[in-house]
Amino acid sequence: MSSGSDTTEIIEAALLNGPRESAPDDAPRPRPRSLDAKASRADTVFRVVATSAGGTTVAIMLAVGVFLSIRAGDALQVAGFSFLTETEWSPETQTFGIAAVLFGTITIAVIAMCFSVPLALGTALLISEVVPGRVKSALVTLVDLMAAVPSVVFGLWGVFFLQANVIPVAQWISTYFGWIPFFAVTDADGNRLTDASAFTSSAFIAGMVVALMVVPTQTSVMREAFSQAPVGEREGALALGSTRWGMISTVVLPFGRGGVIGGTMLGLGRALGETIAVYMIISPIFEINWQVLKTGTNSVSALIALRYGESSQFGLSALMAAGLVLFLITLVVNFTASSIVARSRSGAESGA
Amino acid sequence: MMTDTITTLVDPAELEELEREIAPDADADADAGAETAPSGGRLGRTVVPARSDEPIGPRRAVRGVTLDDRFNLFGALAAALAVATLLFGWLTPMTGVVGWLVVAFLVFLGIYALLVAMRSDRQAVVDRVMTTMLYSAGAILLAALVFVVLYTVGRGIPAISHLNFFTETMKFAGPLDSLEVGGILHAIVGTLIQIGIALAITIPLGIATAVFLNEVGGRFARFVRTISDAMTALPSIVAGLFVYSAVITLITHQRSGFAASLAITVMMLPIVIRASDVVLRLVAGHLREASYALGASRWRTVWHVVLPTARSGLVTAVILGTARGVGETSPVLLTSGVTAVMNLNPFEGPMISLPLQVFDFVKSPEPNMIARGFGAAATLILLVLALFAIARVIGGKGPGQLSDRQRRAAGAASARDAERMSQRSRPAAATAIVEAPADPPRPPGASDGPDVPPGRPAPPEAQTPEERPA
Amino acid sequence: MTRTPRLRRAFAAALATMLLAAGLASAASAPAYADTWQPIDGTGSTWSQNALDQWRKNVASNYGMTINYSGTGSSAGRQDFINQRVAFAVSEIPFQAQPEDNSPPEVPQTGYAYMPIVAGGTSFMYNLKIGGKKVTNLRLSGEVISKIFTGQIANWNDAAIQADNPGLAMPDKAIVPVVRSDGSGTSAQFTLWMSKQFPSIWTAGMRSQFPTPANGKAQNGSLGVAGYVSQDYGEGAITYVEYSYALKSGFPVAKVLNPSGYYIEPTYQSVAVALMSASVNADLTQNLDSVYNSGDARAYPLSSYSYMIVPTELNKVFTTAKGRTLGAFANYMLCEGQQQAAALGYSPLPMNLVQAGFEQIKRIPGADVSGVDLNTCNNPTFKPGDSPSNNQLAATAPQPAACDKQGPDQCTTGTAGAVEETPVTGTGGGGGSSDAGANANAGGTPSAGAGTTGGGSTGSTGATYDANGNLVSGGSSTTAGLAVSSPFTLADPGWGPAQLLMAAAGILLLVAIVVPPLTSRRLRESRPPKA
Repeated sequence: MSSGSDTTEIIEAALLNGPRESAPDDAPRPRPRSLDAKASRADTVFRVVATSAGGTTVAIMLAVGVFLSIRAGDALQVAGFSFLTETEWSPETQTFGIAAVLFGTITIAVIAMCFSVPLALGTALLISEVVPGRVKSALVTLVDLMAAVPSVVFGLWGVFFLQANVIPVAQWISTYFGWIPFFAVTDADGNRLTDASAFTSSAFIAGMVVALMVVPTQTSVMREAFSQAPVGEREGALALGSTRWGMISTVVLPFGRGGVIGGTMLGLGRALGETIAVYMIISPIFEINWQVLKTGTNSVSALIALRYGESSQFGLSALMAAGLVLFLITLVVNFTASSIVARSRSGAESGA
Repeated sequence: MMTDTITTLVDPAELEELEREIAPDADADADAGAETAPSGGRLGRTVVPARSDEPIGPRRAVRGVTLDDRFNLFGALAAALAVATLLFGWLTPMTGVVGWLVVAFLVFLGIYALLVAMRSDRQAVVDRVMTTMLYSAGAILLAALVFVVLYTVGRGIPAISHLNFFTETMKFAGPLDSLEVGGILHAIVGTLIQIGIALAITIPLGIATAVFLNEVGGRFARFVRTISDAMTALPSIVAGLFVYSAVITLITHQRSGFAASLAITVMMLPIVIRASDVVLRLVAGHLREASYALGASRWRTVWHVVLPTARSGLVTAVILGTARGVGETSPVLLTSGVTAVMNLNPFEGPMISLPLQVFDFVKSPEPNMIARGFGAAATLILLVLALFAIARVIGGKGPGQLSDRQRRAAGAASARDAERMSQRSRPAAATAIVEAPADPPRPPGASDGPDVPPGRPAPPEAQTPEERPA
Repeated sequence: MTRTPRLRRAFAAALATMLLAAGLASAASAPAYADTWQPIDGTGSTWSQNALDQWRKNVASNYGMTINYSGTGSSAGRQDFINQRVAFAVSEIPFQAQPEDNSPPEVPQTGYAYMPIVAGGTSFMYNLKIGGKKVTNLRLSGEVISKIFTGQIANWNDAAIQADNPGLAMPDKAIVPVVRSDGSGTSAQFTLWMSKQFPSIWTAGMRSQFPTPANGKAQNGSLGVAGYVSQDYGEGAITYVEYSYALKSGFPVAKVLNPSGYYIEPTYQSVAVALMSASVNADLTQNLDSVYNSGDARAYPLSSYSYMIVPTELNKVFTTAKGRTLGAFANYMLCEGQQQAAALGYSPLPMNLVQAGFEQIKRIPGADVSGVDLNTCNNPTFKPGDSPSNNQLAATAPQPAACDKQGPDQCTTGTAGAVEETPVTGTGGGGGSSDAGANANAGGTPSAGAGTTGGGSTGSTGATYDANGNLVSGGSSTTAGLAVSSPFTLADPGWGPAQLLMAAAGILLLVAIVVPPLTSRRLRESRPPKA
């Protein structure tokens, strides 16, 4: 009941002072109203429960982080700096490093971005600026829906459909653009390879599949950013005689730039961590392969999926070190992305 | 109870405001209710500006396409197809569908630009060409995505057209058996159990954490938010690796459904927290303030105002997290183990789930196993899409946005409230403070729950303390 | 409080649905006898996975046992056993006291025993076409195989391969050796054989992790390597995998030259014959040196058997109740299960190994030993009362055909899963080298195969076989043009008159499209000033 009487006091004070208008100056003021409300028992319980939920969450998260760091530390102590420069992966002989796998991971992610960003940008602009209302909401739903398609489905499609059908394209690129070092496909002696088997399981194919996987997310983020471009400026541009593209390039794109960058990086974060589709497609190698069309690449997450089962305790530590590095990279990417997105939206917060 | 006094002190207009805040469009009925309420309180009423009666002219079509534009488009398209076919079929030794498409597209762009350029200036040409590019990007993207789904479902049809695929397990089916034998019931059940456990942990913990971030706040909350944001970056395979090496290797010593649930939980929790956090942040501050102003405690405000208001958003957050969790293969690859039989005990023995079953099936060179793999993938897609559709139906509306039925119900309820208040406040207002604790006058209809329409949405929380038995 | 009842109702509905689903599920899957057997889990070898999958299904339908087996690779299986995550593991090689890469020895904490479960041949499955027609009768010597998997031989028309296959016109196509990317007993068996037989070529010793050759590819699991080879784009690929995978994928395996000078396919009979010379160590680990050098003309050199590693003490996941199930399952495998080994592409275990396996079953805690009896064991390799050194299969195994002998003749019959014949040049002229005469000859013959594309009918004796091969390869699959082989590239022909004409035609076409609108615009722009 103590809380009850507190409440009454406050209410009494409020009534005396009047709820909205300030009381007349000559009104008696018995005592200054206390602004400290003592929490009721329910509130105390609520506060404790909520805080402990937060605490539990943090405990789980920190347990993951700390456990990973400690176990990874074992391996990192042994490997030292060479962990970042060594390409071999043989934890048992103490020579292991993620230079090759990390390179592969990044190659795949960058290729994925090359495909996904133009598509996402175009589609986001199409949805937010070009198509009329009903089609627009249908497209928005469709794109969001695609973001929920499981990655193993993309992996299946990549292995059973894309792989066989993209080989001629890869061969064509390497034939006519082979003078660009990335697109060349040569053996160790520099002879050009044209066999179909030289083009399978490549970073190029894995990148295409990952691109499709991340593009819905990117499209959503970009579309939201574009739709927040101020109406006044748009109408101004149109009123001044600009064409639609003129309006897009002078108003929408500059306003949505943060969203474009942020969306790209969010997609990049997912692309870096993607496991199963990549695992199904690539042929893992432990050397740095600059030729993206050529067979053989690797990724940190595929390495973990491949080797966790047969690893000794130390091998697991080494895998965790690799996982930790991947985690840190995606962390940086994601934080950068969200800060960029947040900055670009700062003017459009809800009135809460 | 002392809290009873609170409502009697409040002018119905306050309630109205609260109502309108929650249901901004519920003006007609609510206003009707408000009109009947006396303006006896000391507070000024909120006035809804009258709609002007000026007639609105017919809407002008501003998006129309001129005949000229249409000719340019279709003409260019026809010309492009013709040229590409000519080049590929007769003039040059070029081959391949992809090449044909690329050439046709480039020719189309060129001719279209040329046609537009005949009538318009450079700006218009750029505009048309860029618009075409945008359409092409959208078409490519959506076609590719839809194709991925249709391809999977299409190749899964041989398997999913057998009913036994959904009612049997692979227990009695070997790699060589036809599709008439064996199914994926065990994987479906495994998925449901695993995601069920994960949800049982994630929903209370995730939403409570999000509530903590929003309603309690403070330095620790900022820390929690940073950590959980950071964890959304955790690659799912690393979550699996953590459970594998921390839980399976050190504690349970066997792969199990529960271990898989833990891995999914570690992966889903940050997603759910983040999404719920955003949703809760969208709950308008006025609502909270109104609730506090009515004297509701913090806990009551959260339970009766914030959570109900954000309910659709929260459901969406959870379902989207579920969709991610259901479809994720890599954490279960490390933790759940592979089995061909039904296992209903998540703590003992391997328990396969749909994504892992897909992965396991398609490793086989047997056409039947691959067909089963596609069938399982199709089932998984349908499951995820169904979840997503549910999320869309529930969460398509923003917080506080109501369906017509809900709106009518809310209007009726507030009209009734206003009626009740007006009956009571006239005699009681002046003496409420003194008398209220003893026995506030209760109008006949308002004391019991059942009389409130069932479809009624969250808001008029201020009345709940009154309705709740003391 | 309108919320609470509704929430409660929703909860109740959800609960009811779940209960219903669970009830249905358990009704569907819980036969009455399920309580007498405990489900047991195992992981490991993919080499013997096909047999275990079949047996798992059989004991499920016959006895209601639940065996969960996951082919994660032998190395992973042994690790799982060491860490006591599974009741049993399957591996081709024992725990490594001195692992290949100087890592710490693999030592399980609790007792274990090796129990042989199935024998088989590590085969070389390949995907090769000559003139658009699948080759099914390739023969390879051990030395050539070692050189292929070390990258020393990188083209199918290498003289050494041609020498092994005098009847085939080996195409100019790159060899893609496909190896295992995970730690595998198959890799270990193969590398052990190479290190024993060809130490000068293979210097790395026994390796579970096969180092990927520069021109090679790594895939995960037996299914992964077999799957890669059997793809359209896998043409030119060769891999090492258990015979049953080739059988299942419908692809041929190479016949391997044995010390008696015959090229032998790893059928169940040739494996059984070879394993007659296996010596078994006291702990049942195998010593295969004499198998590699078996003097029998019918023996396949890369024959081996795989073990189940069973616990002989209780551990964290192993109970006597599980021991009872495992014992019964093991008994089934050694006796009844061996009946299906041949059909699956394995070879049934001979009597001495079954006998030794029985000894191990008796050491499993909780195993019911009453049914463990050689006389009631329905194993195809022996009859009740046979002597352990006898093998019914080996006794009846046919002698190799004369055309399988090293020399100019080559059999046309298919191998493993590919039964169709491959025509050869019967005369075998120029068998020693890849000279042009033999090639031209071969180029004209493929049309002999039933229902082939008839591409060989181009029959241009002057044409080189590879170009010929490319021309017909397009007809075999929907993905035309995939099988373009190296010397036949589009860029090389250079600019002849034909190409010039084509380019001119294309340019003219574009000009015809572009010029009229441009000129009309120019005209229109220039007209107003005049007017």
